Amino acid sequence: MHEMGIALEIYRTCREAVRAHGEGRLQRVRIAVGELAAIEPDLLLFGWQAVVVDSPDEGAELEIEWCRADQRCPSCGEAKDRSEGTWLRICPDCAMPLEVRGGDELDVLEITYETDDETADAASPS
Amino acid sequence: MKHVVTIRRKALAASEEHAAKLRGQFSESGTLVLNLISSPGSGKTTLLEATVRRLADQHRLAVIEGDVATERDADRIRALGVAAHQVLTGGACHLDARQIETALDTAELLPADILFIENVGNLICPTTYDLGEDFKVAVLSVTEGDDKPFKYPAIFSRAAVTIISKSDLLPHVPFDLEAVREHVASLNPSGTLFVLSSTTGDGIDGWCDFLLDSLAAKRTP
Repeated sequence: MHEMGIALEIYRTCREAVRAHGEGRLQRVRIAVGELAAIEPDLLLFGWQAVVVDSPDEGAELEIEWCRADQRCPSCGEAKDRSEGTWLRICPDCAMPLEVRGGDELDVLEITYETDDETADAASPS
Repeated sequence: MKHVVTIRRKALAASEEHAAKLRGQFSESGTLVLNLISSPGSGKTTLLEATVRRLADQHRLAVIEGDVATERDADRIRALGVAAHQVLTGGACHLDARQIETALDTAELLPADILFIENVGNLICPTTYDLGEDFKVAVLSVTEGDDKPFKYPAIFSRAAVTIISKSDLLPHVPFDLEAVREHVASLNPSGTLFVLSSTTGDGIDGWCDFLLDSLAAKRTP
């Protein structure tokens, strides 16, 4: 199970991002995971909980956006009968190699974090 | 106060930066780098022994071995007079680029013509991690069964080369070689497949020729 290591990498990326904007506590992280990324979402969520527990970001939520792959046959168009998660790269009708687009996403999209003091914003004239 | 920040950064970006640095280093030293991935016991180390015996006279080779524990694999390679470094993951199921960097800092492996990285025996996790290699090599032994490409599609679709090992055992086990050829081709239409036995030496020549051709291609400006 490599989801634990990936959860840790995601956490590091988010921590760095929070620090780059000042200090704060992570509340929510939205990520994209492709169906061909070889990532099991439940295990990733489990790994995430283990990573944030007892950290300053305890309770931060991980939200997974599931991304499907688009496989097209260059001669007959999309392989419409493909079932989710299939890795077959040959068109079932004309035996041509399929063009595969997407489905391998593993991206941090957005973070939400909270800061205690509002002095920075309060100080700036409105 | 609540802040929302859009990041759009690859989750493994930090790890991939290390892999890109390694790729640059290997390109500079003109080293062909292979990342061997398979289940435990498929014969990766035995394949490396057979390969090293064939190529070490004329070429400078180096090996990085990844295992949870023991120096056994690196010892087997060193016994053949080839530089080898053992990475002990202590439980982790794959190698990542940082460990390769540390290995290169610790042991004198470069410059080399070909660097073989034998990943931790596992068909799943190592697939996700780029080690700066030229290509991944999936090894499947005939004793594991012919259903593996469809059961573990990620590695077989991402590996530029698939090796069917222990071919000398084909008469003794139910393994439909032609079906496997077809399955691998349907997962990876542009991949290359070798059938070989490291014990008898059958098919090793074709594999070694492929390595030398790939090395020559990498060094052609």
